[in-house]
Amino acid sequence: MTDFLAVIVGDFYARMLVLLLSATQWTIYLSLTAFVGGGLIGLAMTLLRIAPVKWARLFSAAYIWTFQSVPLLMLLFLIGLGMPAFFKVNVPPWAAATTALTLFTSAYMSEVWRGAIQSVPAGQWEAGRVLGLTFAQSLRYVVSPQAIKIAIPPTVGFMVQIIKGTSLAYIIDFNDLMRWGKKIGNSQLDGAEPFVVFPIVAAIYFLLCYPLTVLSRRLERRSGGEKLMVAAKGVNVGG
Amino acid sequence: MADLRFYEIWREAVFVDKLLWGVLTSVSLTVLACAVGLAFGLALALARRSVFAVLRLPAAGYVETVRNTPLIVQLFFICFGLPTLLDYRWPFFVSALFALCLNFAAYYAEIIGAGLDNVNKGQLEAGRALGLTKREILGRVSLPQAAAGVYPSLVSQFIFLFLTTGIISEVGVEDLTWAGRYIADRNFRDFEVFLLLAVLYAGLAVFFRAVLTAAGKALFPWWRET
Amino acid sequence: MNFWDCGVDLDGKSGKICVDIRGMSKWFGSFRVLNNIDIAVSAGEKVVICGPSGSGKSTLIRCMNSLEQFQSGSVTVCGVALEQDGTNAAVQRRVGMVFQQFNLFPHLTVLENCTLALRLVLKLNADEAEARAREYLSRVRILEQANKYPADISGGQQQRVAIARALAMEPELMLFDEPTSALDPEVVHEVLETMTDLAATGMTMICVTHEMGFARQIADRVVFMDEGAILEVAPPPEFFGSPQNERCRVFLSRILN
Repeated sequence: MTDFLAVIVGDFYARMLVLLLSATQWTIYLSLTAFVGGGLIGLAMTLLRIAPVKWARLFSAAYIWTFQSVPLLMLLFLIGLGMPAFFKVNVPPWAAATTALTLFTSAYMSEVWRGAIQSVPAGQWEAGRVLGLTFAQSLRYVVSPQAIKIAIPPTVGFMVQIIKGTSLAYIIDFNDLMRWGKKIGNSQLDGAEPFVVFPIVAAIYFLLCYPLTVLSRRLERRSGGEKLMVAAKGVNVGG
Repeated sequence: MADLRFYEIWREAVFVDKLLWGVLTSVSLTVLACAVGLAFGLALALARRSVFAVLRLPAAGYVETVRNTPLIVQLFFICFGLPTLLDYRWPFFVSALFALCLNFAAYYAEIIGAGLDNVNKGQLEAGRALGLTKREILGRVSLPQAAAGVYPSLVSQFIFLFLTTGIISEVGVEDLTWAGRYIADRNFRDFEVFLLLAVLYAGLAVFFRAVLTAAGKALFPWWRET
Repeated sequence: MNFWDCGVDLDGKSGKICVDIRGMSKWFGSFRVLNNIDIAVSAGEKVVICGPSGSGKSTLIRCMNSLEQFQSGSVTVCGVALEQDGTNAAVQRRVGMVFQQFNLFPHLTVLENCTLALRLVLKLNADEAEARAREYLSRVRILEQANKYPADISGGQQQRVAIARALAMEPELMLFDEPTSALDPEVVHEVLETMTDLAATGMTMICVTHEMGFARQIADRVVFMDEGAILEVAPPPEFFGSPQNERCRVFLSRILN
């Protein structure tokens, strides 16, 4: 708190903005890590989900169901507060936040991608099979090129949910935009009232999210919206 | 490795009380916010499709702002920012409910709007060919079909929003998440408490999905998945 | 009797004009979909319109009940002059239409499909509406399906419900937009029989269809359209026996063989 107060000298709002923006970089790092990590795990889960092996499908279904049904906030509490208390280990906030958001992201991503794969007509798999392609070959050369086109817009759209999701990490003391916004909002300083600070914080989140929303919508329009409704069913996520 | 001590959660009657009240509060707040959100969301969806720019632009701005900022920021603004700005004092419970309603509405507006846009053009033409007015076509043809078409999305959204409501514990609303934090602060069994909460939330999500899916079948007996 | 500029003698029909279209053109942007259309249809007459796809035949009949707008010329339907670029609800009420895709309301039962407009538009009370709907459903021989949803009956049955729904409004003119094109071949006849029965009641009918047997049987005149223009209008014997227009001849030889 002291270094924070030390910073609040000179041009008040400029300092505040610099502070918030430098905190924003942690929001961005956390989002990117969760997107990449969650994407990789999500991809693996998607493959298991459609694999011609029953236990793999069951495992993946259970995984996706679990991390879609447990609130992100509970994941954060479990990993950031529960694990240290229970296993007597030290879990730094960034590690807890990254893990929780990665698990959250992986479940929703693989649900989106499974929807995309399923929206490719079954006739495409059959056409691959009658040509003598293996399951992997059909997936690689026939189905996934079509599915990726369908999956890209909702994937970009989900990045918005990840960014918004990172705002919960301040609860376990991750030093992101939200945490600094709250600190400044609580500072009781003139000119840093909550009704000034939170709109600024909201504006920064908006600047991060809105371009992705627009991009997602533009991509969706380009590839014809109707199938995407199907692909995105069950993953109209907000929060 | 330490052993799991769930009994530490129901050791004290007050803990169990808080949990039960928490479940009730979370569920009732979500259902209420959902009902208000649906009504307001419908109004927003229609406004966004209005021929008048004075309705269209504010509605679009509202929906985009809410959808592209985190709920927690909206919540803090409404609970801590607005009261000082407008000089009123509401219980946090009311402010939190208000924030949830405003938040849900924007997401529902987007879904309802997509449903309206996806109603088959032939349906509207059939309505016109029978001489129905625009309003009658909207009320009797478009809306019922849009509702059925997006019902699964509305249910998913409802459940997703339910899972985000725990954040209102941050402003002191005594919901399920708040109850968990209350207990963990006193018995120091964070892991067990939050594991139990995770199970409760997931269980409620399953319950909601089952009830709402059954309700959907009863509400839209004519609907066939295409 | 040739003062409607359509070049055809109306041959003893009542003479009361139901549809009168003069010099009508329609554009989609810069593309002219209907080109200087002249046609008059008198009350009780049956007209079949045929032509290759994209020839503008659907667009033409959709202009007659104000589902589509036109940009020049005049269109008078049931004595009401339609406005250019406007929609006319009064005309829509007096003209029935049957669509290629049926367009039954999936969320309403067969009976409710028929009563909806009776109650909302004609302001009948629930009992009157139901009685009238049942009467028309039994006329198309589908009354026993009254409480089912459209998704639960066959395509042919759905189309007959759509006909009953339109007839229940007791329109002065019935428009059919390729009513059998979306049907399985084995049920086409049920819909055509219903339409033939209807023709026998003296209803004014304008049908876009490729069912040439039907055209021969019930049409007073057959119209051939291509590229947005009417190229041939003649009673069936002349139309099928000695078509004057070259493109019409080619078209007929293709679909009749």
